[in-house]
Amino acid sequence: MNIGGYTGKILRVDLSEGTVSIEELEQAFIEKWVGGVGFGAKYLYDEVSPGVEWSDPENRHIWATGPLAGSGVYGAGTFCVVTKGPMTNFAGSSQANGYFGAYLKFSGFDGIVFQGKAASPVYVVIKDGKAEIRSAQKLAGKDVWETEDVIRSELNVGKRDVSVYAIGPAGENKVLYAPIIGDRGHVASKNGVGAVMGSKNLKAVVAYRGKRSFEIRDPKTLKEKNDELFEIAKVSGPIYQWGSGGGFSAVYGIGALPVRNYTTNIYPEHERMNGQYMRTHYEIRPKPCYRCRMAHVKEVTVTEGPYKGLSAEEPEYELLAAFGPQIGNTELGGVVMLSNEVDRLGIDCNEAGWVIGWTMECYEKGVFSRDDLDGLDLTWGNVEAAKALLNKIARREGIGDLLAEGVMRASRKVGGEAADWAIHTMKGCTPRGHDHRGRWPELFDTCVSNTSTLESNWGPVTPQLVGLPPFDPFSHEEVSTFNGKFNGIRQFDDCLGTCRYASPDPKLVVQCVNAVTGWNMSLEDAFTVGLRVVNQLRMFNLAHGMETKNERPSKRYGSIPVDGPTKGRNIMEKWGGMLENYYGLLGWDKATGIPFPETLKKLGLENLIKD
Amino acid sequence: MNRVTIELWLWLGRRLEGDFESPSAMRSLREEVVEEGTTVRDLLGSLANRFKAIEQEVFDIQGQRLREGLVGIYSERVTGDDEFYRKILRDGDKVVILPVYTGG
Ligand code: SF4
Repeated sequence: MNIGGYTGKILRVDLSEGTVSIEELEQAFIEKWVGGVGFGAKYLYDEVSPGVEWSDPENRHIWATGPLAGSGVYGAGTFCVVTKGPMTNFAGSSQANGYFGAYLKFSGFDGIVFQGKAASPVYVVIKDGKAEIRSAQKLAGKDVWETEDVIRSELNVGKRDVSVYAIGPAGENKVLYAPIIGDRGHVASKNGVGAVMGSKNLKAVVAYRGKRSFEIRDPKTLKEKNDELFEIAKVSGPIYQWGSGGGFSAVYGIGALPVRNYTTNIYPEHERMNGQYMRTHYEIRPKPCYRCRMAHVKEVTVTEGPYKGLSAEEPEYELLAAFGPQIGNTELGGVVMLSNEVDRLGIDCNEAGWVIGWTMECYEKGVFSRDDLDGLDLTWGNVEAAKALLNKIARREGIGDLLAEGVMRASRKVGGEAADWAIHTMKGCTPRGHDHRGRWPELFDTCVSNTSTLESNWGPVTPQLVGLPPFDPFSHEEVSTFNGKFNGIRQFDDCLGTCRYASPDPKLVVQCVNAVTGWNMSLEDAFTVGLRVVNQLRMFNLAHGMETKNERPSKRYGSIPVDGPTKGRNIMEKWGGMLENYYGLLGWDKATGIPFPETLKKLGLENLIKD
Repeated sequence: MNRVTIELWLWLGRRLEGDFESPSAMRSLREEVVEEGTTVRDLLGSLANRFKAIEQEVFDIQGQRLREGLVGIYSERVTGDDEFYRKILRDGDKVVILPVYTGG
């Protein structure tokens, strides 16, 4: 194979048969799909037929990394999980940073395809180009951190000798929003990728550190471009200095912080909940991902309040939002405590926030009595009650069984007005930790995405990075135009095995890819790869029954804010026009959202055109 | 003449000490008296001319725009860039400058 940056091998693990095999990747395949979500989208479409449900053994669970993983690009230890997930029952794609992406390649593979279902719980160990399926009987019921510890001691290895990604009790019990968690605090969180793992009786996957055996074509240029990337990443927002929580107050300032389940946008306590407060008041220790100079991930020890002395992962923005304002909590130590709890139990923090916030609103308004909640006093801000509820959800005990289905399904079951209070898209996925009524590009993207989470953009809206003009963030037309024109580059990112925080400039990222692989790719080529992924996933979803009439938010998610800086803004006023504009820009039928044959042809997806 | 408030959520407390109030580590605020017809752009330009920290960290005098990574809020309302700069200040108005939101 004449490309740098790849091992050229995919590991296939058949859990029903208890066998492992190795498949060679063809050069043309790599050039077309690049890696990560690209590999995942292709395998998923080819191997999971319509009619296969998320929990069927025939579903695939694809873990793939990309050319930058383990290349020395700072923070390039990322991998991507693609599967048919339970929240939407369509494709899901989710990334995790940490070490696994680099270690998997050092162990000899660009990706893994899991299929079938093991008769009893197992875990898979990957080392030196080989893999072994081991019994996980003794890990059953253990939380994620215990699982990591037991595996490390069973393998008799040190902390950084292996990377372990596992599910907790929530994944084992098929809580629909169970993620996969590894390297103590890194999460592939969306569309229940951990529930799919649970359905396959796959408890954990381990990759050894190994040694790099793939080639880097132009190490000198790679080093230069990598350093340039770091210089830009350092000053791109507050991440380097303050972590992702450094943007918390700014998110509040623009009306995009979720407060009490979108019932208000007023949260004056934000200054005691942000990254700046945490890093100037708590004890902080660095805990970077693989070769990351940004090193934004930290451990903290709480130094004040009821949780004083608690040492844990520093909560990221998403956790601060979910377990602070969204559930009416103003005690930062309580957020640290709940963040630990979701990571141990293996529950997605975003969905946990929407579920708990909705339950608290239902309790406040009398829809749920204390008896309905198994005696829990779920008043706004009661973090101990929230902790008990999370444990019930993870084990599907009492009220936890209903809430384990996620906020859309739980609210529909309860019915009445309470169904209107749930925050979700009509496809079943839910937003990240924001009030997207103050962040229209993300609201729109979450609803029309084919990945079950953001597809065209993420966090900071940065049109200038790809030569697009600034736009009015509350213009229906300009927002849908921006999303339509920007779509592609973020899916390309997710093909690469690197972290977006550490690699914020798409042009430099493409130059790094060229230096590693020996390609001569342009930014336009990168967009094409990303759009190919978008269309491949869309065709998968359409084949699996996705109806574009469901590309819209729930009533509460698309409601009009009653106070705060976005009071009165109404995205739904011209929702139909936004869809038409967006579909048209992507080369999809404006009425149905189905890709035109010419669009598929242009992207090299002729095989998806039905006669 | 109109009285307006400028508030910066940029942790510039020490650098603006004496000229701006600093109700918390994050916030710096100041009341300004402006003539009828003054726009948000005029106000930011005038502040940048008078205060070095604002010129360096907040408003690019040459480009007549906020520095990269910042966003402005006019009287508790988020608007598009062009609308924001063109707003004509009225008595009691407030302009808040924040870092561009990130997170997650
Ligand atoms: S920027 Fe943060 S999340 Fe990304 S690789 Fe570095 S430490 Fe990990």
